[in-house]
Amino acid sequence: MLRKILLHGFTAGVLAALASLVYQQIYFKSLGADFSTVISTTGIIATCVGATLLASLGYFLVQRLLKSRAPAVFNLLLLLLSFASIVGPFAIKLPLELEAPELFPGLTVPMHFFPALAWLALSPLFYPMQVPAEKRA
Amino acid sequence: MRYKAILAALLFMMALPAMAASWQPTNKYSIRFSSNDASGIFKTFSSTLVFDEQNLGTSKFTATVEVASINTGNGLQNKHAKGAEWFDATTYPQIRFVSDKIVKAGSGYQATGTLEMHGVKKQVTIPFTFQRKGNAGTFAGSFSVNRNDYHIGKAGNKVEEVIRIDISVPVVQK
Repeated sequence: MLRKILLHGFTAGVLAALASLVYQQIYFKSLGADFSTVISTTGIIATCVGATLLASLGYFLVQRLLKSRAPAVFNLLLLLLSFASIVGPFAIKLPLELEAPELFPGLTVPMHFFPALAWLALSPLFYPMQVPAEKRA
Repeated sequence: MRYKAILAALLFMMALPAMAASWQPTNKYSIRFSSNDASGIFKTFSSTLVFDEQNLGTSKFTATVEVASINTGNGLQNKHAKGAEWFDATTYPQIRFVSDKIVKAGSGYQATGTLEMHGVKKQVTIPFTFQRKGNAGTFAGSFSVNRNDYHIGKAGNKVEEVIRIDISVPVVQK
């Protein structure tokens, strides 16, 4: 089961990284704000995959503790943590040579939700809904 | 006719010592401010720098910093710094320094003049050095200001009252 959960986390991380990189390009092309010296491609991939692998371990633990209620509790927890993490982009002090630091949260705040979105989007593929036998009939 | 030419030459020679060199800042200048709580730079600066080590009496500095060009590295802090409680960039868009006298002080120099910030004018003395390399050079100086003297921010709030200013202005001779 852990292997399946970790695979879910890894796939979600890759998907989130891909979404983040596409968003970074769109942001740069539309606003001209280049923060690539602060958030590099490698950094984005590592952060997304790292976050979702960590989420996998969290899900594994929650599942062991709460059994059938695990998905609901975990999804709520994932949402809360993603929301709490947006404090970071608002509080960060960027290198002074970077222009327009006020545009930084606009780039990174959505990225903070991509791992959770990817995790939730891929969940049905990894854990198909169990329909009780009486309802199948 | 001959006397007029000699007189003109004499007048020109008399005027020569009074003409101090004029320096043009390059775009590699840096105007930094720092304290334990806040730090950053001002990105836009213009100046008229007339300086001659051999003729300090005719040397004079005029410098203007655009308040709106403040960068603390954080967008929210920048907005806050430009706001009414702090620099009030809309009402007081510039910080200005005009020197009254420049004197030799130890291995460097001191420029005494008026610093106008947030609508308040105060006499300050800025110690600085000048390192000449042929037709170029660098002015560098550090000094501190008490933000309360200029009514910037509220007195006693968590940001330190004494702010250190570090200036470095590479120049080329005009």
